[in-house]
Amino acid sequence: MTPELTPELTNEEILKAVEQAIVAIAGDEILVTGPVTMTTSFNADLELESIEFVALAEKLQHRFGERVDFVGWISGKELDQIIALTVGDLVELIATCRP
Amino acid sequence: MSTVVANGVAHHVQNLGPVVDRGAPPVVMTHGLVIGSLASWFFTAAPALAQSRHVRMYDLRGHGRSARMPSGYDTHTLAADLDELTRDLPPFDLVGHSWGALVALRFAHLHPESVRRLVIVEAPLPPASAIEMTAFLNAGPEAIIDALPESLRTAVASGRRQAQRLVESVVYLVRDTTLLADIRAEPEPACVGLPPTLALYGDSSTCRPGGEAFARRCGATLDILPGGHYLHLDARAELTARIQDYLDG
Repeated sequence: MTPELTPELTNEEILKAVEQAIVAIAGDEILVTGPVTMTTSFNADLELESIEFVALAEKLQHRFGERVDFVGWISGKELDQIIALTVGDLVELIATCRP
Repeated sequence: MSTVVANGVAHHVQNLGPVVDRGAPPVVMTHGLVIGSLASWFFTAAPALAQSRHVRMYDLRGHGRSARMPSGYDTHTLAADLDELTRDLPPFDLVGHSWGALVALRFAHLHPESVRRLVIVEAPLPPASAIEMTAFLNAGPEAIIDALPESLRTAVASGRRQAQRLVESVVYLVRDTTLLADIRAEPEPACVGLPPTLALYGDSSTCRPGGEAFARRCGATLDILPGGHYLHLDARAELTARIQDYLDG
């Protein structure tokens, strides 16, 4: 079991956890175009469906706990910003919530 | 994933915001048929509403991450699903888009004691007029993509995975379920027992005249916002503000 969000958790570990969550939601075949990196876009590169992104946010919420405010984060973004989100944006959000 | 079995169907449910008994009355949000899912609200009005109240959204049967079902897309069955998914809530506000708005109307008519305020967004009235919006569904994958709202079309046009999954889901609903027959057979909603109701329509939507007639007939507050049928995408900020004002006022 991956630990909750701790000060020691590195960005690489967060990236790995995000990748694992993406695979858990969308299946292994999501990685056919290559590994997930910080610049991978959820929409243009991975082609996640919007409902899959909802499930991803929920999974990461469970993993990293209530310190990460996905909902507040989403509400502060315009639709085109949401469509353009990258894995790095999500890793950064989680990283900035480290205690 | 949060799965709740209601009416024998596994539903994907998402709850946002404070726990039920904290803050303003809870709000339940329903989405439209075929290309809708709870994501319609999750990325638009729900996060703002969740700042002050408990928000519950779910994927209708056959949609999003809920179980596929061959039948039961009429508002009577869908309102029964909604009933089972909200039994633990005190009286709540109900917000629906498109067919989800008709489900909300039906639910409010059947359970007036459960609904405090109702917001219907782009409800197709009469209900069978929704067939006009789904006419493209029999025309093949390219026509389906052409008929999508622009933001979704851009996302789909760029690649393969989203387009394939969307088309596959649409083809399932149209060919292998009673969805179109259920739309055709749907009766007009009743005005009786409706709570205070706000009807929101897009100024360029084909649903607007039917909505205006409904608002007159049932005494609902009518508001027209700039945009088409997918008002949550076309006028995301205005729609969110209008819903929030109505529920808070």
